[in-house]
Amino acid sequence: MKRLLIGNQAVAWGALRAGISVAAGYPGTPSSEALTELLRYAAEHPESPYVEWSVNEKVAFEVATGAAWTGKRALATMKMSGANVAADSILSVAYSGSPGGLLLYVADDPGAEAGMPEQDSRLFAQWAGLPVLEPSTPQRVYELTRLAFELGERCQLPVILRSVTSVAHARSEVEGELDYVPLERAPAFTKDITRYTKAGAAICIAQHEALLERLQVVERAAADAGVNRLAPGRERPELFVVAAGSLIPYVQETLAASQRFGGFSTLFLESLYPLDRAAAGRMFEGAAAVLILEELEPFVEMLLRSEASRLGWPGTILGKLDGLLPRVGKYGREAIDRGLEALASSGRAARPGTRKPLAPPAAPLPAAPAGAQVKHPITFCAGCPHRGTFMAINRALKKIGRDRDNTVVTGDIGCTILGMNPPFHTCWTEVSMGSSIGLAQGFARAGIEGPLLATIGDSTFFHAGIPPLINAVQHGTDLLVIILDNGWTSMTGFQVNPGTDERFQRAGSIRVDIEGIVRGMGIEQVQVLAPFQQEPAVESIAAALQAPGVKVLISRQECALTVARREPPARIFQVDPEKCTFCRACLRETGCPALAVRAAGDKTRMSIDPELCTGCGLCFTCCRFDAIHERSVGGAAAEAEAGGEAP
Amino acid sequence: MIQSIFLTGLGGQGVLTIAGILADHAAEAGLKVSLFNAKGMAQRGGRVTSEVRLSRDPAAEFGARISPGGADVLLGMEIGESINSLPFLRPRGVALLLEHAYVPAETILKKQPYPSFVEACRLAAERTGAVYPLEKPESPYNVFALGVFAAVVPVVQEDLAFYSPEGLERTVAGRLKRGLEENLEAFRRGCTYGRSLLERF
Repeated sequence: MKRLLIGNQAVAWGALRAGISVAAGYPGTPSSEALTELLRYAAEHPESPYVEWSVNEKVAFEVATGAAWTGKRALATMKMSGANVAADSILSVAYSGSPGGLLLYVADDPGAEAGMPEQDSRLFAQWAGLPVLEPSTPQRVYELTRLAFELGERCQLPVILRSVTSVAHARSEVEGELDYVPLERAPAFTKDITRYTKAGAAICIAQHEALLERLQVVERAAADAGVNRLAPGRERPELFVVAAGSLIPYVQETLAASQRFGGFSTLFLESLYPLDRAAAGRMFEGAAAVLILEELEPFVEMLLRSEASRLGWPGTILGKLDGLLPRVGKYGREAIDRGLEALASSGRAARPGTRKPLAPPAAPLPAAPAGAQVKHPITFCAGCPHRGTFMAINRALKKIGRDRDNTVVTGDIGCTILGMNPPFHTCWTEVSMGSSIGLAQGFARAGIEGPLLATIGDSTFFHAGIPPLINAVQHGTDLLVIILDNGWTSMTGFQVNPGTDERFQRAGSIRVDIEGIVRGMGIEQVQVLAPFQQEPAVESIAAALQAPGVKVLISRQECALTVARREPPARIFQVDPEKCTFCRACLRETGCPALAVRAAGDKTRMSIDPELCTGCGLCFTCCRFDAIHERSVGGAAAEAEAGGEAP
Repeated sequence: MIQSIFLTGLGGQGVLTIAGILADHAAEAGLKVSLFNAKGMAQRGGRVTSEVRLSRDPAAEFGARISPGGADVLLGMEIGESINSLPFLRPRGVALLLEHAYVPAETILKKQPYPSFVEACRLAAERTGAVYPLEKPESPYNVFALGVFAAVVPVVQEDLAFYSPEGLERTVAGRLKRGLEENLEAFRRGCTYGRSLLERF
């Protein structure tokens, strides 16, 4: 089948043929038509992927990621500056990788023809550690889009398909299977916090190592797939022209039309990162001089120069770093001619290099000894209100016949992510600020079974949780969001945020009300919970989990540590060693650091450290033997006794 | 010559407070000092470490971090974290280990063993002969341990002789306004305890 398509539309058709389930994007020249084409397809066909314009690029990428993490294929589209908006999530997801194909389509604008900044998104990909393909024509856009899903699944990484205005907006004939073949895959997300969260040094180090290994896998896979093409020249085989992505056809036409340059060898690169070291090695083996043609930054040039240096290759490299060609603007015939002229006159004295084996990865440094032997998993502080919220979530899931291992609960940045740790084991994911709400929508769109719940702290909600919640409202996603509102930005040391009580803010500051924001979005199912009141909290969460639409519960209780700085507790709890059976239910469900084990006569009993207990009473709700009792310690009286701050 | 002191414990134990006093005292004595605190997880019962590095040469250039095997003194305030930090102690360095364990809930629930104080001291003794156990310490542990440090370290580490009990006490008095009497009392009891350790070992 043949059709005239612009490059952006070819992305859509390649993705359809690859069987995507979800596509999300934010409009931005020169990328927009990729998603427009998919929306048109979805409107005209009963069987189609789920397609949405998201509220911004970060949310779009998170929606696509959620879907791809279920094993389905997904596409996110945006322009170059949109990738910056999504960066927090892109870099984080790179470390986790993706079981299902996840394609990030980014369009750049060399020459600012569409009025955009001359950002080179290839550098972004290197920064994130993600493979980059750059197709040369709309036909190749279609082919490489399909291939990108294959490569991505082979190496378990998201793949960036980078295009430029000259290809994204060029219309030409595309030949291929232009239809939608949905993948027959049931959506399933594996609960694995070592892969899908970032909380912990060991997790971060292992994910970094895994990312580097995956890049090696994709380097080989792209080489095997023949994405890059090396062709020896007849007259001047020792002079190589390297062209990247969109410049390839212009170089081809120049070489074909020229007597003088026609005999050069060529290396045409459409898989740009990681560098195809096999192809580069073959080139340097026979090359005396190499000209690198690429628009904007010397991206390929830097990669090839470092590879030449590693190989000890003695030849000449011509490009931008030697001042031959500019880093600004779009390249036309002039730039290509200038490069080819320089190549023709440069290589005479040089001699071809010799081949060396690829460098093996460096031996790892000895692991830092810290934390190697005795582990102290971090958990909520004694008296932390988040403990109550996560206990109530787990209890509510049980109440509706589900559990924390079959119901996806997304987590977010900050103290609240400790809900992933023992004894709660509630959170499944942690990607970037605000991502819990965007990811949950991706899981929903991929068709994950069961209710979906996103958990996020107050400061994180203000930071980046509002746009994805708006997105859920707009698109009518069934989703429960629990905002754990402790009034402070606590994890980082109790800084104020827009929701902090005005008494604790600089004079003139105005507290912004989360409930008002949420209701202002048009969400009607909104309720404020008290996390230490377990029974009503469990009731509300259970009901909200089963209701359709977007629901928001605000679990509100001030951070225990900021409270403790102002006033000692009015009550604490203690264990009656006569009644305690050492069943440890309190410890098992709360994991509270104030709970300890002590000997009572010849028996072992639980005890509560009076120095740490804040009197939240959560352990009390776990005890079936009436062994935990409240004890008044008189707030104001105790404060007077302590004498306050000395002068 | 650069001296390195590695302090470790758990959030809330006051490791950073006494590390700050050690650094301030050295600076007041005219030494070039650097202090590095790793406290990212401190609020949540996580590991805390402080690294104090100092030199008598005011022109000396050195980094803030102590490499494994580079600490002249290790002051450990929790058994598990002391064991974790032992690789930082240089062979024949000084180990001051405090008898206090924080056993995580998971360890209790799964009935897993948690290392004993004897075990920690035994492991330390594999690296150095200079292991000083702070058995049954008094509260507040951090200032008590600082008192022990003041009595022991200047005697056994010539290069750290400027950390005299009298001098450190002055710095403590200048830094810990809140509950000062209680803190000074703990510091002095630590000094007494430290002197008894010197007699025993």
